[in-house]
Amino acid sequence: MAKLIRIFGIVTVIALVLLVVVDRLDASQGGGGGSNTLTVFNWGDYIDEELITKFEEETGIRVIYETFDSNEAMLTKIEQGGTTYDIAVPSEYTIDKMIEDDLLIELDHSQLPNMEYLNPDFMDLSFDPGNAYSIPYFWGTVGIVYNKEMVGRELTSWDDLWADDLRNDILLVDGAREIMGMGLNSLGYSLNTKEESELLEAQEKLQTLSPNIKAIVGDEIKMLIGNGEAPLGVVWSGEAAEIMYENEDLDYVVPEEGSNLWFDNMVIPKTADNVEGAHQFINFMLDPENAAQNAEYVGYSTPNAAGYELLPPEVAEDERFYPPEEVTERLEVYDNLGPEWLGRYNELFLEFKMNLR
Amino acid sequence: MTKKLKWSRIYLAVVFLILYAPIFYLMFYSFNSGENMYGFEGFTLDWYRAVFSDTRLLIIVLNTVIIALLSAVISTIIGVFGALAIMYVKQQRMKNTLLSLNNVLIVSPDVIIGASFLILFTIIGIRLGFTSVLLAHIAFSVPIVVIMVLPKLQEMSPTLIDAARDLGASRFEVLSKVVIPYITPGIFAGFFMALTYSLDDFAVTFFVTGNGFSTLSVEIYSLARQGISLQINALSTLIFFVTLALVIGYYFISKRSGGLVGMGVRK
Repeated sequence: MAKLIRIFGIVTVIALVLLVVVDRLDASQGGGGGSNTLTVFNWGDYIDEELITKFEEETGIRVIYETFDSNEAMLTKIEQGGTTYDIAVPSEYTIDKMIEDDLLIELDHSQLPNMEYLNPDFMDLSFDPGNAYSIPYFWGTVGIVYNKEMVGRELTSWDDLWADDLRNDILLVDGAREIMGMGLNSLGYSLNTKEESELLEAQEKLQTLSPNIKAIVGDEIKMLIGNGEAPLGVVWSGEAAEIMYENEDLDYVVPEEGSNLWFDNMVIPKTADNVEGAHQFINFMLDPENAAQNAEYVGYSTPNAAGYELLPPEVAEDERFYPPEEVTERLEVYDNLGPEWLGRYNELFLEFKMNLR
Repeated sequence: MTKKLKWSRIYLAVVFLILYAPIFYLMFYSFNSGENMYGFEGFTLDWYRAVFSDTRLLIIVLNTVIIALLSAVISTIIGVFGALAIMYVKQQRMKNTLLSLNNVLIVSPDVIIGASFLILFTIIGIRLGFTSVLLAHIAFSVPIVVIMVLPKLQEMSPTLIDAARDLGASRFEVLSKVVIPYITPGIFAGFFMALTYSLDDFAVTFFVTGNGFSTLSVEIYSLARQGISLQINALSTLIFFVTLALVIGYYFISKRSGGLVGMGVRK
């Protein structure tokens, strides 16, 4: 018994010593900012960590940085309460929902002078008119990433996917809006359509693609294409950028018929403790120099016009990720369709998946 | 006979190869000077340097260890008393009910336990973070400790206790001098099970962390979306060797003390 108590005592002491060590490390990292802290809730690996340090040095605010892996996971945490996130970075269709559910704090634009650097094309969009609640962080498109060597020619449009020689080659992301949107775009319809006949037509067209489809997958799509296990896939531009960096045979194209334009925006949830600090953080990230540094590190496209100018030419001139105006004109942002139509999209997509060979 | 032995050895070797191959593959690439696991470009220790200079990652690792140690100690104490309580319930039906309730908690999916805890903690107003994770880990470890300790108790002959009582031992003395020493192997088995459960738990922790507190499994999961950096390979390699050292150390200690601390694991 005494031995047992001794051993458990030692274990407890070790744990407590480690607690002190963590506390020390924590303090040394914060640079003695005191009780002024800011909790940032962002996607994994979605910021240049040096910027956090820089922000801490400039403002004396200590940043607690936490990551999530999906909009849904983030939403659950914030809806449920019990947390004090000061900044979150959801995608546009989630922002819509968060505004509707009254989860966000209205932004005080007078505290965000750096907003002027943002590209007006990316402001005042349907999911948040007047940017009352959200400020763009990164943006991108949906398109085709393909292996030039394996495909052997250039792809330019959605229709190219229907070619006979691509039998059993295509990987699709498992997203109802993305894939139904691809069907709609290839027919020249809006990817926010609420016409039943257009939706059915799109589904029918997708059905004819089925011999070419290898699989419908999630995040592993990056690995599969990066390793050359499949020659092409339909993905978000950010994901494409990442694998292209690792495999030089890959190319990315935004199809000419049009596609989706997506956003990840910074918002301040109702759970925020440090609203002023949150504004400071947003403003800091909008600073052209910081925006450029971040864009270069993360590899996604920055909505910051002045920051864009500061990017190295080989990044800024890459039309695949900063497409010229004639392409952006044909890009559409997802509207909030409402539960009824969203359900319809999901239903049709599910039917399509079930009917795959 | 010898031929039979050979086949069993080959079989064993194959099984171990399959079990360890992914780990060795991962370790191999932690020394890659390239950026990814697609091809080996050259030897480097840069990733190990990166691990030690990344304070945030180190804090997360330490947090994981602290949570594992504390939750294992506390849940072992609670679990041992729980097992004693179940053992000394006189009514057979009551005993079975308690045991079944205990088992239900072991079998229920982590995701459901995690979601329930998230709802519970937010309703009673516990701030998500260290405390909530610790409480959740203790909660899911207690049933495991109970299960590890109970067989030892059941196997103990009641005459031992009768004898102790006859010789004039008080209730407390019976517990501390007879029962606890007898079930010590079970207690340690429970402790180590709780430790490992806590270390590798993802689902429950995922729901109940917040406010900047994170454990390794949750952190790596968020990173996975962007493709895991080789820094994680380096960290995993380090953890693997620390674990290996602990297991070997434990083996020698238990050998020297004549198996007293030995894990008489009876599953």
